[in-house]
Amino acid sequence: MGGGGAGRVHKVVIDEFRNYYSRLPAEQLDVKDFVKREYAMLHFGDQTMVRHLRFDSTSELRRRLVEEAPANVYYSSAYYRDPQADDMNAKGWEGADLIFDIDADHIRTDCKESHDTWACLDCGCRGRGFPPEACPKCGMKKIDTVTWVCEGCLDTAKAEIFKLIDEFMVPDFGVALGEIEICFSGHRGYHLHVLSDSVRGLAGDGRREIADYVRGIGLDPKEHGFRQVPGNGPILGPDMRDGGWRGKIARAIYEFVSGRSQEELRAVVGPVVADTITKSKEKFLQSISDTPPHWGGMRGYSLESLLKIANAAAKEHVCNIDERVTLDVKRLIRQPNSLHGKSALKTAEVSYSDLEHFDPLKDAVAFNSGSIKIYVKEIPRVRIGDCEVGPAKGTEMEVPMAMGLYLICKGAADPRL
Amino acid sequence: MSKMLTKEDLAKYPFLDQSAAFIAGYNLTLSDLTAPAYSGVVDRAVERVRRSIEGGAGAATLNLGDTETEILSYPLALALVYASGARWLVNRFATSEAKRCEELLKMEAAPKLAEIAKSSFGWKVDLEDLRLEWERLTFRLGLADYLEVAPQFHSPSWKLTNKYVDKGYVFLDTKDFSRLLAENLKLRIIRKSGEEEAKNFELPAALQPHLSGILGLLEGKKELYEDEFPEGVVDEARPPCIVAIANDLRAGKSLSHMARFAITTFMLNVGESVDGVLKLFSNVADFDEGKARYQVEHIAGMTGSRTKYAPPKCEVLRSFGLCVEPDKLCATVSHPLNYYKRRVRAGPATSAPRGEDGRRGGRKGAQGRHR
Ligand code: SF4
Ligand SMILES: [Zn+2]
Ligand SMILES: [Zn+2]
Repeated sequence: MGGGGAGRVHKVVIDEFRNYYSRLPAEQLDVKDFVKREYAMLHFGDQTMVRHLRFDSTSELRRRLVEEAPANVYYSSAYYRDPQADDMNAKGWEGADLIFDIDADHIRTDCKESHDTWACLDCGCRGRGFPPEACPKCGMKKIDTVTWVCEGCLDTAKAEIFKLIDEFMVPDFGVALGEIEICFSGHRGYHLHVLSDSVRGLAGDGRREIADYVRGIGLDPKEHGFRQVPGNGPILGPDMRDGGWRGKIARAIYEFVSGRSQEELRAVVGPVVADTITKSKEKFLQSISDTPPHWGGMRGYSLESLLKIANAAAKEHVCNIDERVTLDVKRLIRQPNSLHGKSALKTAEVSYSDLEHFDPLKDAVAFNSGSIKIYVKEIPRVRIGDCEVGPAKGTEMEVPMAMGLYLICKGAADPRL
Repeated sequence: MSKMLTKEDLAKYPFLDQSAAFIAGYNLTLSDLTAPAYSGVVDRAVERVRRSIEGGAGAATLNLGDTETEILSYPLALALVYASGARWLVNRFATSEAKRCEELLKMEAAPKLAEIAKSSFGWKVDLEDLRLEWERLTFRLGLADYLEVAPQFHSPSWKLTNKYVDKGYVFLDTKDFSRLLAENLKLRIIRKSGEEEAKNFELPAALQPHLSGILGLLEGKKELYEDEFPEGVVDEARPPCIVAIANDLRAGKSLSHMARFAITTFMLNVGESVDGVLKLFSNVADFDEGKARYQVEHIAGMTGSRTKYAPPKCEVLRSFGLCVEPDKLCATVSHPLNYYKRRVRAGPATSAPRGEDGRRGGRKGAQGRHR
């Protein structure tokens, strides 16, 4: 849990967090059906979360935040009859928002090479970039990581959240833009909350189906119409305008075949078929976009090859969510406009129309004045707001407050007073 | 009564709200039904329950000659089932009613099916006529309603990922739609048995003899339908496939996904705890307690999903190469859990020692089964 835990507690961080909450208008803490939510907090220096809290009003919550200046504040995705009951069964579950979590940490991005490092706790082997599953040298799985987040990571996460909304929530699930809330998590990613009444009552198994759907789990192109008429007849298949994964697969194949090199196609279906398709690419693309589409419009490939392309192409249209968050019917999630204990950035709500130009490293900055002297242990290049520092190691500097708190909360710097 | 649904429909589908309204129209209580004038109703109710216990083809039959008796006997049958307090009778009855209805529903015209779904289950459903290359999808069902029921089915074609989904609706053909309706009926019967009203329900005294008769019948069939396992896992009763996977785990080998799934579901289903299952895995090199716990709890139906997963059938295990050294008993079962049940019931005397150390039964449960 970020920001709490065993790390050193710095008074300046707690003081600044408290200042932030005393400046914050209470109504900015409002969430739908506020009094039905369980609240939880994690304090700096603590390992255990204070749970089962309930507040009558946002100003009561704010008062508590000013008093205690916690590192992290959460509320339940669930609505309860008695949110404060400490036995989960006695709370009286009345439903829950549907939540999606997209975290740059879980997505392989090229930029990780430039800012992340890992080390094997068993043999000391080290490397850069996305951590391996097991140590390449000794095979053990105790890997320690030092991760940073850069514009590249955050852009990838943003693209993923757009994909989730534009390609799944709106067209497939019929969710209206007015029923969703988008939040920058305050650190490495975004949350999407779907607040529609129709999803409130979904049980865990229904939510799993939704998570699997956006991740493309269990997807079988044959179920979407890719079949051959018996007796070596024509191959039939979906239309690009079809709904759901059906249309997505058809469009994915079009993109894949038109956009990929012959080499990449060969890797999927082998040289013979790849060459056949590449040679008559135009014809292939034309016949699969006909009404109705002709999936076997030319000779030289089998249904099987087509299915291989379908599977490879579909993979690029899945959405990288953390499924555990989505299928949990009583998840604790970050309170909008609260601070993240690992970054001192705020969990910022963003409207769909502002999302494109939203710059988390600027728009989620919670401290806009003052400066602070810090001792930097080791950092890559870091930007917060308009200020850029690093790479740096073992040096003292004076930086704007937001940058200073960011580095201190990440554990990469100490305050110098 | 709805214009679309006839009295005959109510007899076919006595679970309908309209049937309840029909009964209410008679102003009858359950006790009233015990009057001699209604002996036919009581007999039919008892017959419905009996048939569900006996199972077999046509477990739940329909007598359209006397629609009134048919309609009135349904709530009475349900009352007897709930009053028995036997969980598996509830399941059994629910399953046979669902099967019976599914057969009838499949033959109905689309508008009637939609009407039933809307008026009795409150489903958000419209008639569509989506023609695809291989199928014709006649219904458009709200996503939430679909997800309430469909996760009960485990075949890949029921996965949301493989359905035609558009703007918050799932498109279905008549066969699938009838199946969903029937399954929902089953879920409702089962869920209702857990509600206070059904639990505290008192059967009118005059019906007690009928209940005793049913309980007697249950007792006689117990062997067949036993689904409660003895407390404590009887290691010796595990089938060869599961023993082999357990041995691999003990040796610290890492397993295929299917092998993990098989042993986890199997052990959970015979009553092993989550911690007990995790212990099995603790020798494996890449063991990650947090991750494993989450997976096991999910399979156990503790996190998120309400469904507890069942282990795969022998056929599936065989196709994954996990059916190793099947023994004599294996030849007579098609599911590893049946193997276990049979061995547990037979006790140690008839079970050939097969474990790697030849250990025989003797743990609690193995003998305790015999009455
Ligand atoms: S027949 Fe079934 S129970 Fe027996 S070993 Fe094979 S899979 Fe297991
Ligand atoms: Zn190592
Ligand atoms: Zn990056």
